[in-house]
Amino acid sequence: MLQILIQGLLLSGLYALIAVGFTMIFSIGRVLNLSYGSSLMVGGYTYFYFSQTLGIPKLAGLAVAAVAGCLMGLLVFRLIVKTLEGSHVAIEISTLILAVVVQAAIVLLFGDSSKILLPIIPGVVWVSGAAVTYNILAAMLAGWAVLAGLHFYVRATHTGRAMSAVSMDLKGAAISGIEPDRINMITWGLSGALGAVAGVFFASYTQLSPSMWVAPLIISVAVVIVGGIGSIVGTLIVAHIIGFMEVIVTAWIAPELRGVFTMLLIICVLILRPQGLFGRAEL
Amino acid sequence: MGFLEVENLEAFYGRAQALHGISLSMERGEIAGIVGANGAGKSTLMDCIMGLVNTRGEIRLAGGSLANLPTSEIVRLGIGYAPERFNLFPHMTVRDNLLVGAYTARDDIEANLDIVHGLFPRLEERERQETSTQSGGERQMVSLGRALMTSPRLLLVDEPTIGLAPKLCDEIADVLIRMNRELDMTILIAEQNANFALRLAKHIYVLESGKIKISGSARELRDDPRLLEAYFGD
Repeated sequence: MLQILIQGLLLSGLYALIAVGFTMIFSIGRVLNLSYGSSLMVGGYTYFYFSQTLGIPKLAGLAVAAVAGCLMGLLVFRLIVKTLEGSHVAIEISTLILAVVVQAAIVLLFGDSSKILLPIIPGVVWVSGAAVTYNILAAMLAGWAVLAGLHFYVRATHTGRAMSAVSMDLKGAAISGIEPDRINMITWGLSGALGAVAGVFFASYTQLSPSMWVAPLIISVAVVIVGGIGSIVGTLIVAHIIGFMEVIVTAWIAPELRGVFTMLLIICVLILRPQGLFGRAEL
Repeated sequence: MGFLEVENLEAFYGRAQALHGISLSMERGEIAGIVGANGAGKSTLMDCIMGLVNTRGEIRLAGGSLANLPTSEIVRLGIGYAPERFNLFPHMTVRDNLLVGAYTARDDIEANLDIVHGLFPRLEERERQETSTQSGGERQMVSLGRALMTSPRLLLVDEPTIGLAPKLCDEIADVLIRMNRELDMTILIAEQNANFALRLAKHIYVLESGKIKISGSARELRDDPRLLEAYFGD
């Protein structure tokens, strides 16, 4: 039982880190960015190339990955979202196509076989008989720190409040002197950077592969649908619901079904409470 | 040259034309009123001045053209706007709504907060309340307060009395007069309630179907039968 609690907490922290960037885009820009999983993949492979192949220090590798994710986010916003502004279906289809294109590019550059990404922080600590890697512990702490930081940023800074304002009322934001495009650029850049960092932790928890963008995207979509238009606290709570559910399914039912239950949860929420469990237009 | 000048303004929503050749002029420190029935184009005119609607024609503030400027720049130049539907941030507190208004006027936050709290003491008492839980009158106060936080020289107020009890309308009227006199603020009010506009404004423009039907001093228009016609037809 204690092992389930520990594993649940660790996995949930990682899921919160994975989902937060996607939730930001959905809350502020009202866009389902289906290329979000690619930000994680770009982050993972960038870190792999710089830290594991070229041998630069791990933290520097993580920073380069974040910059790559940020640039990808900015490019997606400028080239797809702004160009197709107002046409949500076209944006969703285009971002999904982009994810497939990025996957093909990764196959060309790195091959189609999976790769092991060494942990950022190697080592294991034993907690009540359960082995906890420092890496997943760092991912959990990073997830909590990012959410706490974002919570503070949104409430205590002018730009953060502007992000929140844009998410609630575009006209109200505009007549307050806020440039929604600038706020969206910041949001997309930040989302890409957070996605890339999450991708490094996710890839070192699982493995690097050209199809690794799918699972994080499903987790992120599940967090948004189950949580509703994403509040930060809602993101954290739903990441824990999904994380614990997967750990319990793995331990007590069948490991093969862990993803299936997440899908079923999405369908149940869509039928019973389409606005999500914490659905209100807030960041 | 007027402080605010609108010349031959036309506005479009897609292919539909909403305003037809509107021209008006305001002196600095003046209160002017745009009156007309529902759908006459009052809110569209306000939105045009704020750069929120596609327009043709000229709008100038203190001699400088506002043509093609983004709304954020128009706010920076000194135009504040309290729109008809308030457009507040419903899940933010009163204080945070006001602070968002200070986005382009960060150096004036404390001074402007003092002004807002002086005009609307209730907002200071309820600064931690979410605006989604407030009454219409309180939201109107937050809306006006947020506009004041932008440090405006010209304030646009759209339908400030809509849905408010007569006593609250009087309070809002008093506040607008105080803003004009104590803060030397130029104010343009769009109102369906012609009596309210006539009471405050020096100059009135009567809008009908996107055109200015009559204009003149409030004193002249008070008993003008054409004012009634603009509301109820010929």
